[in-house]
Amino acid sequence: MLLAFLALLPVVLKNDSIINLAILVLLYVMLSSSWNILGGYTGQTNLGHAAFFGLGSLATRLLWISGWPLALSLLAGGFVAVVLALLIGFPAFRLRGVYFAIGTLALGQILFVTVGNVLPQISALPAKYLASYELLPRYYLFLGLAVLIVGVASVLVHSRLGLGMMAVREEEDAAESLGISALRHKLLALCASAFLAGLTGGAFAFYHVGYYPQFPFAPVWTFDAMMMAYIGGTGTIEGPIIGALFYVVVKELLALKLVEFHLIIFGILFILVVLFLPGGFVEAWKRVRKALARQLKSFQSRPSP
Amino acid sequence: MLEIRELDAGYSDLQALWGVSLQVQEGELVALVGPNGAGKTTTLRVISGLLKATSGSVRFQGCDLGREPPHRIVELGISQVLEGGRVFTGMSVHENLELGAFPAKARRVRAQSLKWVYEMFPRLEERKHQRAGTLSGGERQMLAIGRALMARPMLLMLDEPSFGLAPLMVQQILDMIVEINRQGVTILLVEQNVRAALELARRGYVIENGRTAGEGTCDNLMDFECVRSAYLG
Amino acid sequence: MLGPIAQNLVFGILVGALYGLAAVGLSMVFGVTKFLNVAHGELLMLGGYASFWAFTLLGVDPFLSFPSTILFLVIIGVVLYKVLFSRMVKLPEELKIRNTLLIGFGLSLILQNLALRLWTADDRGVTTAYSGWAITLLGVRLPIVRLASLGIALVCLLALHLFLRRTYTGKAIRATVQDWEAAAVMGIDIHKVYLLSFVLGVALAGIAGTLVSVGYSIEPSMGLHWTLKALIVMVLGGLGSIMGTFVGGIVLGVTESAASYLIPGGGTYREVVGLVLFVLVLILRPQGLFGAKER
Repeated sequence: MLLAFLALLPVVLKNDSIINLAILVLLYVMLSSSWNILGGYTGQTNLGHAAFFGLGSLATRLLWISGWPLALSLLAGGFVAVVLALLIGFPAFRLRGVYFAIGTLALGQILFVTVGNVLPQISALPAKYLASYELLPRYYLFLGLAVLIVGVASVLVHSRLGLGMMAVREEEDAAESLGISALRHKLLALCASAFLAGLTGGAFAFYHVGYYPQFPFAPVWTFDAMMMAYIGGTGTIEGPIIGALFYVVVKELLALKLVEFHLIIFGILFILVVLFLPGGFVEAWKRVRKALARQLKSFQSRPSP
Repeated sequence: MLEIRELDAGYSDLQALWGVSLQVQEGELVALVGPNGAGKTTTLRVISGLLKATSGSVRFQGCDLGREPPHRIVELGISQVLEGGRVFTGMSVHENLELGAFPAKARRVRAQSLKWVYEMFPRLEERKHQRAGTLSGGERQMLAIGRALMARPMLLMLDEPSFGLAPLMVQQILDMIVEINRQGVTILLVEQNVRAALELARRGYVIENGRTAGEGTCDNLMDFECVRSAYLG
Repeated sequence: MLGPIAQNLVFGILVGALYGLAAVGLSMVFGVTKFLNVAHGELLMLGGYASFWAFTLLGVDPFLSFPSTILFLVIIGVVLYKVLFSRMVKLPEELKIRNTLLIGFGLSLILQNLALRLWTADDRGVTTAYSGWAITLLGVRLPIVRLASLGIALVCLLALHLFLRRTYTGKAIRATVQDWEAAAVMGIDIHKVYLLSFVLGVALAGIAGTLVSVGYSIEPSMGLHWTLKALIVMVLGGLGSIMGTFVGGIVLGVTESAASYLIPGGGTYREVVGLVLFVLVLILRPQGLFGAKER
């Protein structure tokens, strides 16, 4: 039903700025959900997620501009990201816990700086693509991919694989002793996360008219995605979606009055979530519902006057 | 002096103590014995404030120790020699002892305390400036005890002081403990070496599976299976 | 005449001293409390801005405004500890490190954007009358300001070292690092030790920041850059040795300089050298690093 609403949105509201906003939300939903697979469900905090996003966008952009069909370019973007994931996965997963986090942070930075050095010029759309640029198909691409990514995440989570991933998150050693290969699950989660982020990057490359190839590699993408997942609720499907929506809405609401203020608010909220509400908004909602249910029950069980 | 009533305590989701109760009068040397993992160390940790009890009370000289942080409990007069001694290997013997007098009250009489400890443990004085990491097992245990004494405790608790030591060393340590008690420090001794513990203490408690299985003097403790088997086995 | 190589080396040492100072600050915090405050770079930045303001608003020379900068950062450190980080003390180590990492991120976001609002995105620096002065020794140009920074960094290092080795409180801190339970049952107030170490670390970051503002420049997004430098050096130098960490900073500085000199077009790869080194060390030589003591 929500889907129908989203699908019809651009038809009803022929407002370009709203469509762009919606695309932004969808972008963040995709980025955050893909991060969540490794970060939320498998419990491995990947601080270099932007590398997959950037690589996917780089590959897709290069291929698409040189004439490849879009679908193939997108797939190639995802594929390249997976290759990177496999390359860094094996050494990176030798690091446990927080060391994995800072290791991936460094790896992400390496790529960011290197790409910035190798490809410093802006990537502009060639004339023919520029002439045929249309917003609507791009919106539907984002919508479709977002649905795909959320769908994949959902299926993954409910599968045996997903169960294994969560076991690794909770108690890695205990999981190992039960025959669950932690490394295998982490790698699979990483690859899934990478592939989906790569696709997201591809969509990003398709959407933007001109941008610096280095841009999607910037660490801010990882941090934003991560924070959205946390605020919404890591380890849930709805979490990243809620987080992404919340982020963009708050940003829009505040953008008029105080620039960058939304980031300060976001930072404060993030800290509050880490300190007091590890399950994010999703958990908060569950608690509220439970409290309400209890209240309702106590009303019902009261003897009638 | 020390009174524990119906103590419940545990780690995360695992309960380790169920209603443990015991008493130590001033000047006594009381033993706490029981099989491995029975909860003896846990009990000491609760008293020292390293672990919070989930229910029950710990009273020391009338004061409820429940909410106090570990350093306050030391200030109130309880010192513990942790299992394994745990000296600061990176510092010298002398530095370890000096640090032992951290509480303000103890710091004022630090020089006298040092003299006292060195008199009791001449070996330590010999190795004054040696790094604690280079000491033998027995010497480390002595250092740990000496360090705990530097805080001038009224109650000294020892967790398995004889663990891993050669028999000759064990005897020395135990003699020292008796001497410390004689000099006026109340002692609560946790020992797996039941025989040794009961030779020293007049009174003891047996803890099994996290519960006080019984108390008594040397003689009637023999009624307990674990005590008996320790003697026979 | 040692020429450009020597010049390069010297610049590497001079910047390396600041890396080292920043890392020692982080090491004080992480080594004692196991809080991984990734906003360390932002705190360094605040130190820089504090001295910038003292200079541009009040005309106070940056080297003279140290006391106020330090005080400013001490206050911030105490507030941050009491409000945020003290809640993490009781957690088991892994959770403690991870949660403080996350809190650090939130904090860095807040501080970064606060800086953006207060000082705009422009590069800022403190340019005094003597900023351009330099002495030339054996054909190598030594800017006075950076030399002074090296001197101050060394003084801080020495002071910290003596504090930890010779004073009672310093020894209490070392004892807590080695075995916090043994320290606790000896009457050492662990909370006070944590607070002191945290504030010391933050103050050191502030000092480093001031030196960066005089010798180089500051801007709101520099936080991550410096946090990474501090992390890299902390890992390189190994925990547990203040001197070792500082030396690690010099090593990084020199390595970066050498790389930018030796690799063609290498100036732009300066950053990468350090990061690659970091990842290699993390993966290949974990002993002597973060978990060394416990293993």
